[in-house]
Amino acid sequence: MEQSLKVLINESVSALQNLPLGELAKAINIIQSVFERDGRIYIFGNGGSLALATHWVSDFNKTVFSHNLSSQSRRFQAIRLPSTESELSAWANDVGFDMVFAGPLQNYLQESDCVIAISSSGNSVNVIKAVELAKAKNVEVIAFTGFDGGKLNQLADAKIFVKTEPGRYDTVEGVHDVILHVIIKYFSDYFDYVCSKQPKK
Amino acid sequence: MILVRAPMRVSFVGGGTDLPDFYRSYPGRVISTTIDKFVYLAINNSYKMGKFIVKYSENESVNHPSEIKHNHFREAFLDFGLTKEGIEVSSFADVPAGTGLGSSASFAVALVKGLNAFLGKTISKEEAARSACRLEIDIMKEPIGKQDQYAAAYGGFNIFVFNPDETVTVEPVLLDYKTLINFEEHILVFYTGQSRSASAVLAEQSANIKNKLIEYKKMSDSVYKFRDSLLVGNMEALANQLHENWLRKKSLVSSISNSGIDALYESGLAAGAWGGKVLGAGGGGCILFVAPPGSHAEIRQIMEAKAISVGLKDFKLINVSTTQNGAAIMFNSNSNKFSN
Repeated sequence: MEQSLKVLINESVSALQNLPLGELAKAINIIQSVFERDGRIYIFGNGGSLALATHWVSDFNKTVFSHNLSSQSRRFQAIRLPSTESELSAWANDVGFDMVFAGPLQNYLQESDCVIAISSSGNSVNVIKAVELAKAKNVEVIAFTGFDGGKLNQLADAKIFVKTEPGRYDTVEGVHDVILHVIIKYFSDYFDYVCSKQPKK
Repeated sequence: MILVRAPMRVSFVGGGTDLPDFYRSYPGRVISTTIDKFVYLAINNSYKMGKFIVKYSENESVNHPSEIKHNHFREAFLDFGLTKEGIEVSSFADVPAGTGLGSSASFAVALVKGLNAFLGKTISKEEAARSACRLEIDIMKEPIGKQDQYAAAYGGFNIFVFNPDETVTVEPVLLDYKTLINFEEHILVFYTGQSRSASAVLAEQSANIKNKLIEYKKMSDSVYKFRDSLLVGNMEALANQLHENWLRKKSLVSSISNSGIDALYESGLAAGAWGGKVLGAGGGGCILFVAPPGSHAEIRQIMEAKAISVGLKDFKLINVSTTQNGAAIMFNSNSNKFSN
């Protein structure tokens, strides 16, 4: 039993060790520049990836600033799309599931924003449609993918690609979650550092 | 109404290798960062029907763009075919022109990006850089390089490689926040109060590049050494490289400095700076120092006294931070009218 658990765990460890760190640095740089120009970050995906998008919004908007809520008045503006279940069902029922992300994204998207798209296969049609909308507006795209990266990995400006066998949602989604927390910790440390240097009021 | 902005930049090593006389025979390279000083343009339909109104240090209101005195506005309006319906553009800048912070190219990049948005189009960073280069170099015939347009369009800390086939490769230098903040805490930028035209200095530089290829190659190659010092946070090494390159550049182009600037630069070194350079094409503008943070107050005091003694009454410290942002549309009231 323990041996088989170790094999499973080592798959995630190995996926983590092979992460493209340069692409992760690029993603952090994109998020930093959006913050500096007060733009918004739109996050979306299907199933477990949608849950990750929701988690991300909470950590970006609140957790990153937890130690500095009173001193840091400018904070991230992360939005999960669609932001309500009503929009999700309206787009899916009235127009089609292909449009559940691109539809709501169209309402908000400005050039000063960025997009974080999550799809383990990299081929979810609704995710690709939203990313194509962003690309047409020259909005930068950070992609979280797995398997062989799919079309999403090709389209993205920062390619966070967790290479696995096809169908290994378990490994891919787990590693995506770890990367999320690495990014959150990076920015949390950054704002702690910046705020520690500001003169006390 | 469109509000567009583009950042200015501080260029460290390799300036001059972005001139065609050099990069057509050997790849030119420049390392620079954009800073939190911007050129802003507000673009709107003209409130006077059919009038072309531009506002900068002067105000112009004319019936046809060909009558505009300001070169960038005139040539851009004509090139974009904005000749029939009036347009009004106001410009704002965080620091004056002629400081050596690349403001002319920032203006060009903001203008081409903003006019595209005004016409309902969005353009990429690469398109903005190329379009601004085309405006300033091909159309306006300025004898300048391409580094500033690329810096303003892309934003952030980058190495730009100018290839013989006219393409430009952008290599981002991604720094973690501690290294970046540490770097910012070491740099000092002083405006000499003497504004200058880059064109005159660059014309001299272009004329003698062919005789000094070896020196220019050394400058182009040294950008990676500078980057490596930056990545490991070795500020003293990086300052020494700046100083060496500044001396090399001065030996290549006499008009890049003058006795007043030399005296100021020397007094900064004597007050504790590790190294530095004159920013931009030189001949005035700004002086950059890299110095231990503890010595900044003294350097500032000594520099200000020195500037008064040589008659530079507008001399002052400019507080500079880096920005990761290139040119961007900050506001577009028309954006929802133009769907893709």
